[in-house]
Amino acid sequence: MASTVTPVVVDVPMPKLSDGMEEGTILTWTAADGATVARGQEIVEIETDKAAMAYEAEADGVLRTLAAEGDTVAVGALIARIEPEGAAIPDETAPPVAVAPAAAADPAGAGGAGHEAGSPEPPAPVRPETGARANASPVARRVAGERGVDLAGLTGSGPGGRIVKADVLAATPAAASASPAAPASQAASAPAAAAPGESAVGAKGAVTVVTPTRVQLVVARRMAEAKATAPEFVVEAEIDMTSAVAMRARLKALLAGSETPPPSLNDMVVTAVGRALRGHPKANGAFRDGRFELFERVNVGVAVAGPDTLVVPTVFDADVRSLGAIAADVRRLAAKARDGALTPPELAGGTFSVSNLGMFGIDRFTAVLNPPQAGILAVGAVRERAVVRDGELAVRSTMHVALTCDHRILYGADAARFLARVRELLEQAETLVL
Amino acid sequence: MPDAKLEFRRAVRDALDEELARDDRVIFFGEDVAKPGGVFAATPGLYDTYGEERVFDTPISELAITGAAFGSAVCGLRPVIEIMFGDFLPLAMDGLVNQAAKYWYLSNEQASVPLVVRSAIGGGGRFGAIHSQVPVPWFQAVPGLKIVGPSTSGDAKALLKASIRDDNPVLFLEHKRLYGRRDEVAADAPETLELGRAHVVRPGSDLTLVTAMNTVHHALAAAERLAPDGVDVEVIDLRTLRPLDVPAVLASVARTNRLLVVEEGPISGGWAGEVVARVSEDALGDLDDVWRLATADIPIPYSPPLEDAFLPGEDAIVVSIRTRLGLAA
Amino acid sequence: MARTTSDAPAAETAPSLGAEHDVELFRRMLLIRRFEETVQSLFQKGEVHGTTHLYVGEEAGAVGVADVLGPDDRVAGTYRGHGHALALGVDPQALLDEMLGRATGVCGGRAGSMNVIDLEHRLIGCFGIIGGSASAATGAALAQRRVGGVAVAFFGEGTTNHGYFHECLNFAAVAKLPVVFVCENNLYGEFTPYEDVTAGDIAGRVASYGVPTETIDGNDVWVVRAAAEAAVARARAGEGPQFIQSMTYRHVGHSRSDPGAYRKPGELDAWKERDPLLVARARLQELHGLTPERLDAVDAEVTAQLDAAAVAGLAAPYPDPAEGLGREFKD
Repeated sequence: MASTVTPVVVDVPMPKLSDGMEEGTILTWTAADGATVARGQEIVEIETDKAAMAYEAEADGVLRTLAAEGDTVAVGALIARIEPEGAAIPDETAPPVAVAPAAAADPAGAGGAGHEAGSPEPPAPVRPETGARANASPVARRVAGERGVDLAGLTGSGPGGRIVKADVLAATPAAASASPAAPASQAASAPAAAAPGESAVGAKGAVTVVTPTRVQLVVARRMAEAKATAPEFVVEAEIDMTSAVAMRARLKALLAGSETPPPSLNDMVVTAVGRALRGHPKANGAFRDGRFELFERVNVGVAVAGPDTLVVPTVFDADVRSLGAIAADVRRLAAKARDGALTPPELAGGTFSVSNLGMFGIDRFTAVLNPPQAGILAVGAVRERAVVRDGELAVRSTMHVALTCDHRILYGADAARFLARVRELLEQAETLVL
Repeated sequence: MPDAKLEFRRAVRDALDEELARDDRVIFFGEDVAKPGGVFAATPGLYDTYGEERVFDTPISELAITGAAFGSAVCGLRPVIEIMFGDFLPLAMDGLVNQAAKYWYLSNEQASVPLVVRSAIGGGGRFGAIHSQVPVPWFQAVPGLKIVGPSTSGDAKALLKASIRDDNPVLFLEHKRLYGRRDEVAADAPETLELGRAHVVRPGSDLTLVTAMNTVHHALAAAERLAPDGVDVEVIDLRTLRPLDVPAVLASVARTNRLLVVEEGPISGGWAGEVVARVSEDALGDLDDVWRLATADIPIPYSPPLEDAFLPGEDAIVVSIRTRLGLAA
Repeated sequence: MARTTSDAPAAETAPSLGAEHDVELFRRMLLIRRFEETVQSLFQKGEVHGTTHLYVGEEAGAVGVADVLGPDDRVAGTYRGHGHALALGVDPQALLDEMLGRATGVCGGRAGSMNVIDLEHRLIGCFGIIGGSASAATGAALAQRRVGGVAVAFFGEGTTNHGYFHECLNFAAVAKLPVVFVCENNLYGEFTPYEDVTAGDIAGRVASYGVPTETIDGNDVWVVRAAAEAAVARARAGEGPQFIQSMTYRHVGHSRSDPGAYRKPGELDAWKERDPLLVARARLQELHGLTPERLDAVDAEVTAQLDAAAVAGLAAPYPDPAEGLGREFKD
């Protein structure tokens, strides 16, 4: 082996003897402190994370050990020096401190900076009155932002009731018709086969093709979506309206001569529904994106026929407002619906819907869910009917109702209990003033 | 000269023939490819024209075949190999993934690896679970590798020529259901098509449908069925699966605001997810909706009714779009 | 030259090449030895990262084979490839810089110890996964036969149980490719004695493919050289692939995390007496009358060269991530 002249002191650090080794334990100094060693000669046995290994001197000289047998030392820390023969160099650095076994990490420490329970979340950029973030697609949000449209007022026509770009464009009528490049992202534009107004004559006679309005398209889409996605079932009841009819007569008499008309039987139904919903959160909820959404407010949509259309304006807080206030609200909204003057906020935020065809003489029907709501109540006409009371035939004013339910959130027993409560309230109509 | 109808398998053969003639460094080998002319009759006659030195049959040895391609490519040849079925590619993965794909980078650009692996892939032929797969996802996460999958004869020829001329390793996938198709190819069609560029096969305004290979044809048929409903589908043929032509998809989605990616491959871990991820990251503000249609997470069944229900064909695409858009089925 | 189907090396002496050439072979082996020791020392100081596989004790194999190769020949090695790289003429400074992860490394710091590539010096690659060298060399032979070149694959005895080995042997034999497979049998695959996991014997397997095979003393660089010269000539002449089993031993563990405790007692000492450097020294003294001091001087020169390389390497710059991590494709 060639000898190397060592003009300087050579440090001997704890060597890295394997990948991942971070510290080593000195088992044995195979060359003693003060011994003359040669390059390549084994000088120490070290225990690593994997095995015991020998380490060799990298230079010729006199070995000065700085760490003791049994010491555990970090990789890179000095364990010895090799000095040139004949030189006596003062030991300038302190010997390495043996590394104590690592203290167990404090598991509680990390949790110290955690959030308080119930700390408020930062506000969402759009805060509709229902308290939930608007279900709107990214492009709908962007376009709404660009045009200053409030998403809270919109009803969505996309999957799961998502507000999509077309809904936003529809809410800004001037802009919607302006741009020819705006895509008909809801599809279902009139078939190209015939232009509006053109006729084609066949077995069914002349065909007049009419392009639906945007609102009509929205209705078409939403009804189809409800049928396609929600598993529906219907719960029916026949409600004895004697008490309600009597109450209305009394109110009519009281209000005779004033400008305020008395509440209608339908207003009473809406009030009863509102009160009942307060105790039945699933009926006041929605199934969306695989989750139940239960709403804090009770906002009942009341279906009203508009000009050549169907709209469902919202009576807000129908659980707590008075019968009179609800009645006034419905009157006001119905008038606006007739004039086609309902605003988007008035059309949004509903948590349940009521649809009444009694004024057309309809006895009973079932309504289609208004997605994503869990339920809709279809109300028929109040008629004098033959019923059985205490085992005997009698004549009572009765009204048929049918509750259509989304079985993903509202199950049979819940639906039945809710409907029973509605009936209970209407059959003792004085409770409506509570 | 009138436009001729070109058979897909003939297009593959012609591309190989022309490149073998054009560049002496091109060689071609694999199992049953030379004297027998290929199990899908895609390469007849090349052995007779070019001889054993340049076109030869190998033992059934995917490790050695791939290694031979890699080693010869590093030394200046331009080998084309055939791995008979895409389902056999796992046997060739070390050579492709650890050697070929990494060489340009690890060598610090001393040399690239200009090899092409041709392989027959895809379902619908009742070949069963291990002769019907589309191996794209297995190679999606391999930097340094290109993956090409044509949908028509003309594209096959132009893309194979481009792949052979590309200086990087290319996996060239030939969907088995396409071998027999005959497509018109314009007499003035370009000789090569640029790798990594998608093609809008059918322009539309309501929905961007991104797909590749055999599924392109199912998508086009579905688009025709949806048109009377007023759904105008834009069909994009990716042509190259790696790297993905994301800009083409983004440009389309900016107009239609809806993206459907249809992949013949398992829904979990497929390239469709990569397209969705890229579009979501880069163009969230353009999206009304985005979803995928791919196959269930089970092996491909053999029995015809099972395989037909399993694959994303024309009917499945129509139903998916109708359901998602809330139209009556 | 004895051909054998067993794994016992034939006893023989090989011709001299003249004093100057013989000393050069000794110097190259020393270069590898001191290089590996330098790498080991730098690894223990945390400057070489990951892991390394050292060729200490096996130097005769790489040097003997590389000495007979020409400019159109190509070599593929394994993760234990530093020796093969140096034997082919790869610059020791560039190779060391690569271990240190520097921008001046052979591969710009991208490859590291296991995957060195230097096409300028005929090294098509070192492959981190067993079998890669056999497949790369098979491919290289397919290309280089056009210009009369030969490809050499180096690998260990563990590879002879791998699919790559059998496929490539068969493939090369059928196609009559000019590839020389050199199996450096150092008796252990990682921690396992090769007999424990190898059915039959290696030479016999190869012979069954109809490939000419020879088992030699891998620690005598002149024996290795002679066997390689003959095998390369046969391959170049179109006789198809050739196989050499070179019996040798590694003085250190499989990799840096292995102290070698699985060796049989006394085995290391016995093989150290057959250290290729000692074998060479003895022969040089015997054949050419060179003194120990003369040979020590060669060692000192090589040692100084590597010491300087270590200093220069530690001072060399790292690649700068701000300049980008690199390109995926060639345009």
